[in-house]
Amino acid sequence: MNEPVETFSNQPVAPMSLPDYRDAKLNPVVPAYLRHKIATTIAFWGVFIVLSLVSPYLPFIDFNLSKYPAAIAAVIMLSSLLFARWDAHRRGWALREHDLIYQSGVIFRKQVILPFARIQHVETLSGPIERHFDLMRVKCFTAGGVSADLVVEGLATETAGQVRRYLLEQIRDDESEPSSGQSTVTLDEDDD
Amino acid sequence: MTDQTESLKSESAEVTDWERLAPMALVFMLLATIQKFVRENLFLFAGAGFGVAVFDFLDAWKLALLAFALFLIGLVSTMIYHRRFRFRIEDDAVRVRRGLLEKKELRVRFARVQSVQIGQPFYFKPFDLVRFTLETPGGQQSEVELPGIPKALAESMRDRIIGLQDVPPPVKEHHDDQIEQEDQRQNHLIGSSLYSASAWQLFRHGLSSNQIWLLAGVAAWFFGSFSERIGDWASDQGWFNWVTSHFDQLWLFAGGAVLAGLAFLLALSGLLAIVRFYGFRLSDRGDRLVGVGGLLDQREQTVKREKITGLTVKQSALGRLLRCWQIVIRQTSSIEVDMPGQKKSFIVPGLYDRDRALVSDLVPNWTFPGQDDNGDDNGYQAIHHRFRRVFWKRSCAVAIALIGLWVWRIGSGLLEVLLPLTVLLVILAGIHIRWRQWGWSIRDHQLWVRQGFLGRSHDVFDLDRVQQAQIRQSRYQRRHELANLVLVLPQGPVTVPYLSLDDAANLANQAIYAAETSSMHRV
Repeated sequence: MNEPVETFSNQPVAPMSLPDYRDAKLNPVVPAYLRHKIATTIAFWGVFIVLSLVSPYLPFIDFNLSKYPAAIAAVIMLSSLLFARWDAHRRGWALREHDLIYQSGVIFRKQVILPFARIQHVETLSGPIERHFDLMRVKCFTAGGVSADLVVEGLATETAGQVRRYLLEQIRDDESEPSSGQSTVTLDEDDD
Repeated sequence: MTDQTESLKSESAEVTDWERLAPMALVFMLLATIQKFVRENLFLFAGAGFGVAVFDFLDAWKLALLAFALFLIGLVSTMIYHRRFRFRIEDDAVRVRRGLLEKKELRVRFARVQSVQIGQPFYFKPFDLVRFTLETPGGQQSEVELPGIPKALAESMRDRIIGLQDVPPPVKEHHDDQIEQEDQRQNHLIGSSLYSASAWQLFRHGLSSNQIWLLAGVAAWFFGSFSERIGDWASDQGWFNWVTSHFDQLWLFAGGAVLAGLAFLLALSGLLAIVRFYGFRLSDRGDRLVGVGGLLDQREQTVKREKITGLTVKQSALGRLLRCWQIVIRQTSSIEVDMPGQKKSFIVPGLYDRDRALVSDLVPNWTFPGQDDNGDDNGYQAIHHRFRRVFWKRSCAVAIALIGLWVWRIGSGLLEVLLPLTVLLVILAGIHIRWRQWGWSIRDHQLWVRQGFLGRSHDVFDLDRVQQAQIRQSRYQRRHELANLVLVLPQGPVTVPYLSLDDAANLANQAIYAAETSSMHRV
């Protein structure tokens, strides 16, 4: 008894006819991401600035920081805040049927396209400050070293959970027949 | 009751199944420990004059005592490690128990193994022992290393791992049939020879390999750190008087000495390559490739074809002069920068220009992009000329600023202007060479990327091996619709800079499409 032989075709595929990652509409990061960045930047540089301003008036402690470092720190802090704003506006992500797209960077912009078929493991991460802002990161592990792992930042906790579940489902189903990969997937988001 | 007894029996069988390493393995482990200690501490010893300070602080016998104490510590810890080391071969996996302070148990499934290595250091040969090494995709170092196991056991494990069930077993019925069957079996095991390297080819490989610079670095450090002591010693021996009496111009002697030192290092590098790869031959055994070679440590490296994720065909600057190439077989690796001594890559050494055709023997359907009569590659597309222009502009701007600063602060003179200008011209020429070396070529879903400066390297891989695609753009590149394309592969990232945005996007789309429609496992 012979097994039925599937019709095999191997037609050439024109590169221009392939789905273009640039056509995918990117979802912006949630507004809380910018608030989180502002809070962490102010917390980091603010401590230094306050310390240098208050130090001359501290009793019993001979500790007097010059005002110049405080001024420099203030300039860096303001630049970082401005930078965080640009960064938050340019950061974006999208899920397609077969891959995840993530864009980041202000001066040097980077777009990463990660096929689900290449994801080995997915995890979600969040620190205490992120949890306060209801934020969560999704980390996708792939082969090819540490630099090949993709961390998607700026997702609401619920969305991150949905993305993680979706990715895990896709990893499980990756042996099913692949389709065109053209359409962009939308999740039920509950952004703040 | 019966179940309990059987369970106890199987447990005791499990315990007794564990095998130990041969006593000779202790020698290997001790040498490996010393080698690791030297490698890890060489930079500390060389850095910031620490070595010189130690030599100044301790006299010879104290130093010898310290070295002996360190040796004893190494010996005792190695003996404990060796005593605790156990391994067991299961149906589909190998299990290893090891550890000095902390016990580790590791189980590696044969299906995950991407490379098997059997090495025989010269001191293992009289005992018919070998060192058996397995590598898996995720391992930072060799995942399993069993030094000092019988050769027959290692070979049977190798055959099981690479799936040699189809090899006809020896027949005992008729003598003639038995011989014929055994011949067939041996032919199957030996395979067809793809390439073998003569001693001269290996010497050329050594001359052109980067090992010369490693040796030169060690020599420079040694002479740099101990120059004062060496100078005093040479003066005591009366060498300086001899040199000054025989050479009117000292620089002539110094130049000659440097050249002689370089020639010595080159010859040493060539000889080391012969020792490392002696009698190298590469065979095709159907679904796998086997490379054998080595004088003091004969190694047999087996790689499954399906586990090859790419090839790098490269030659150093000296290699270009000598027309000497090497091919590195690439596999999944979690090491992004391959440090010397960490992992033993599968290298095919000492190739002539014509041997580059070996690429299609290693991986069917992969062919080297076209070459002209001079051996130059003309099958590549160049990257955008703005790569050269932007770096030229930046170099000129920095040079003019520096010259201006120099003239303003120190004063103008012909030499002060000519010298930086000459350096600038060399840098501009370097940028031009670097730009010309970059190239890419795509054909039948295989991407070739060429890069280099004075040396040259060609990377080839199938697009369906791509793990992710990255499009990177600076402000300048966005303004001119250019992009750097980074394709992350199981063996690490490959970059093609300064493509037009459309080319970069097309390549990324093709790579992603190939990865998404590939039936291949995740690695």
